[in-house]
Amino acid sequence: MSRRLAYVQAFNEAVRQEMDNDPDVFCAGEDIGAFGGVFGTFTGLQKEFGVERVVDTPISEQAIIGLGVGAAVSGLRPIVDIMFMDFICVAFDQIVNQAAKIKYMFGGAATVPLTITTGGGGGLSAAGQHSQSLEALLCHIPGLKVVHPSNPYDMKGLMAACIREDNPTVMIKHKRLLGMKGEVPEDPYVVPLGTANVVREGTDATVVAWGRMANEAADAAEQLHNDGISVEVIDPRTLQPLDTETITESAHKTNRVVVVHEAVRFGGLGAEVAAQVQEHAFDYLDAPVARVAAPFSPVPFSPALERHYLPDVDRISAAIRGALERPGA
Amino acid sequence: MPSDVSTVGVIVNPHAGKDVRRLTSGASHVPDATKIGIVRRVIAGAVEAGAQRILLGADRSGLALQAASGLDAPTAALDGPLTSSHLDSVTAAREMWKEDADVVVVLGGDGTCRDVAAGWPNAPMIPISTGTNNVFPCAVDGTSAGVAAGLVATQAVACGDVAIEAKRLVVSVDDTDADTTATESALVDVALVDARFVGARAVTDPRTIVWVVAAIAEPTATGLAAIAGRVEPVGRNEPGGVVVRTGAGGRRVRVPLAPGTFTTLGIESVETLAASTPVVLPGGGMLAFDGERTKAVSASASISVSIEPSGPQVIDVDRTLAIAAAQSRFDVTEVADGH
Amino acid sequence: MTQFDRDVQLDLHRRMVRIRLFEEAAGQLDEAAKLPGFLHLYVGQEAVASGVCAALTDDDQITSNHRGHGHLVAKGGQFNQMMAELMGKSTGYCKGKGGSMHISSLDVGMLGANGIVGAGSTIAVGAGFANKYRNNGHVSATFFGDGASNIGALHEAANMAAALQLPTLFICENNEYGEFTPRDQTMAITDIVDRAAGYGIPGVIVDGMDVVAVHEAAVEAVDRARRGDGPSLIEAKTYRFYNHHGVQNLGLKYRTDDEVEQWKQRDPIFTYEDRLIAADTATRDDVDAVWEELRADIAAAIEFAESSPAPEADQLLVDVYTSTDTAGVAR
Repeated sequence: MSRRLAYVQAFNEAVRQEMDNDPDVFCAGEDIGAFGGVFGTFTGLQKEFGVERVVDTPISEQAIIGLGVGAAVSGLRPIVDIMFMDFICVAFDQIVNQAAKIKYMFGGAATVPLTITTGGGGGLSAAGQHSQSLEALLCHIPGLKVVHPSNPYDMKGLMAACIREDNPTVMIKHKRLLGMKGEVPEDPYVVPLGTANVVREGTDATVVAWGRMANEAADAAEQLHNDGISVEVIDPRTLQPLDTETITESAHKTNRVVVVHEAVRFGGLGAEVAAQVQEHAFDYLDAPVARVAAPFSPVPFSPALERHYLPDVDRISAAIRGALERPGA
Repeated sequence: MPSDVSTVGVIVNPHAGKDVRRLTSGASHVPDATKIGIVRRVIAGAVEAGAQRILLGADRSGLALQAASGLDAPTAALDGPLTSSHLDSVTAAREMWKEDADVVVVLGGDGTCRDVAAGWPNAPMIPISTGTNNVFPCAVDGTSAGVAAGLVATQAVACGDVAIEAKRLVVSVDDTDADTTATESALVDVALVDARFVGARAVTDPRTIVWVVAAIAEPTATGLAAIAGRVEPVGRNEPGGVVVRTGAGGRRVRVPLAPGTFTTLGIESVETLAASTPVVLPGGGMLAFDGERTKAVSASASISVSIEPSGPQVIDVDRTLAIAAAQSRFDVTEVADGH
Repeated sequence: MTQFDRDVQLDLHRRMVRIRLFEEAAGQLDEAAKLPGFLHLYVGQEAVASGVCAALTDDDQITSNHRGHGHLVAKGGQFNQMMAELMGKSTGYCKGKGGSMHISSLDVGMLGANGIVGAGSTIAVGAGFANKYRNNGHVSATFFGDGASNIGALHEAANMAAALQLPTLFICENNEYGEFTPRDQTMAITDIVDRAAGYGIPGVIVDGMDVVAVHEAAVEAVDRARRGDGPSLIEAKTYRFYNHHGVQNLGLKYRTDDEVEQWKQRDPIFTYEDRLIAADTATRDDVDAVWEELRADIAAAIEFAESSPAPEADQLLVDVYTSTDTAGVAR
């Protein structure tokens, strides 16, 4: 049975169902217990599962991740929450040097079934330390898997997949999508990691976008559709491992690719997508892979500035039109 | 340095109040910051009372030096070859004796006071408790202790009027097995424990206690002395002491072997020990002086313990300040500006 | 507890000798350029790892630091796999992917040496959490140095362990130098244990050159943790006989030869042997026999490691992720 649930409720339901299923699953993080998480993502879980399984921690990001790593190596399946994605920087040693590398450096003897959840993305006037999209930093680290759902359905399925995954995963919840509603089946299910979603099929151009930008891209595609332009929108959903096959197949078909992300353009994951496309679809391309991303600056505070900072439907549409202006082969 | 310069010595044991008994009992941790603060107040008090020189014993952590840092006080640091062990307190006491200190303020517990008495046997002493078992030293603020030390050092109050000679346990070990004889001393108690190693020093397992001789057998004591204090009290200012042998079949008493930790101990025999009358006791284990395992003795050793009235001269801080007050020594006589 | 059985007394000795022999052999191999990478030797500090690990079982976990061989040996690590790992061989504990600084063995509850100062402490907290979660009575312990006591992760770990009342021991090996800088230049306190009160946990100082003193404190701390009374901090005052890395011991710029010689007078193994003999626990022949026996084991381990194959190139990408899943690697 399917109902309409908000993105935040889909997350919550995935956690609850997995905790129900597996007594080794527990949650730890700042304000997630009695308070239910600052974004309400853990609402009601402590009441249901007790203080032993939904643990309020000190404001200690390194120790929160370390708690997860040590517990995971000892056989539990921890879900540890880093309130804002910006705060992963505080715990970067634990994520990059510990969680991601333990399996390899232990010669395979250890497994780290750890899920790190965190709130990313801008659009809330939260300024430079509470708005970033740092997925590229994480995707650069061998050993980690990274997911960033754009809708309630994917949220539930990806979160369940992360919890069941034997490798360390980072689940990026987009703060602006928490209230987004959508159809979500009641029964547990997984969206397999590493599988992209073709949000909308099209023939003239491919847009690759994730998180909130996948929805903006879909809106842009809808707008262009009225002008007779057929845009295929691909949401990779999992950023590491990236489903390059689906992306390059689409590039073979449309011959034009635009990548969209909220993170800054330089060194962003869009550069990796562009490189993959030129490696796997060079001969099919009619235009350079275009990138729509944030400029190279911190996320600004003022709504007036942040509006200019974040990619939106208009900028995405303009980039697609730009790609289409190039003559075809 | 001429002896007519009134001199207060300060010895602080950085190890005191930090041993294994924080795990085994309710003993408090005494951090360096606390000790430094006490020493600062001692210095301030001594200077206030007119002391012309404050001698700082060398300690591993430089606590006395840190305490004196920034103070406008006539402090002088004693050099010493530091061992980072309890021997540093022994050395500091010996140096102060050589330097003709008039009185020494000691921060530590029973073990520290014993070390100071080993370096300077009848030192005029104000012992401030910063240790674990604090039977010998007293809980007094550094401010008043410093003032008392200054009053005694300047002879504003005569040492003889306010000092009480403490007792000392003199322990002679005749170990025929090891072909050695040795003499040691303690201020509160000496015990034989069934152990082979010094280890973490503190005597924490009541089952290992074989016998205890206590010079300060006060019912309010904690530690080994408490065993004697709870069956046959002998005060610190009374002559002699008590010998307790443990064993089954006799009295059973509740004893705080460490702060906040009570245990039941079987007592085989209790006897009072007159002053300067040796009692000979068996060996076979580890001798603990003032609560710390120190010296292994073979089973064939015989240990002779006598309680002598030859310990440090412990200065009564309350009495010293009371005499000074009675003599109006705290009054200001010169005319102050604006008054 | 002040009295240990004879077998415990001998076990403490054996653990220390195992560490000493392994480390001396590693040092010699390093000098002969037979070990790739960095080498941080534990010689001088053997009493700490031995005294603590003798209070633990295989099911209890430890985390360690860059100077981690001693901890693994003391926890029961086998010479063969250890020596092979130091040489980067496929038969090593980590199949040649960790090396000296990241050596580990889950079989004996050793959750990794660690190249990041202080990082192991938070992992030990996680292991302690798992123990409490499962109510299995096991404890975790983390070894760290005086230098690590100044890093944020350590404070976070100690505070979290205290806040959650986890069965986790914090073992500070204060060897007076953070790499090449004396402790008194990097902190305004002398005793790391003074910080314990700030975490709300008990802290004690022990003589880190006296294996019995360390063991007594560790037994008490482990008992506390197993009882559910939470974490504690043990600061062992100790000294490394060699340089921060490598095998130089004298003629170093940051410490005097005299200081080194003074500490060597307190060698944790030789002083303990004297006491074992004095206590009639062992004869000189008994202790010598331990060295002889273990020397043979070391020689065999070197032989094993040298004759072991290096990892094949096809192992490069194995175990980045779980074996069934190498997604993300191949691209």
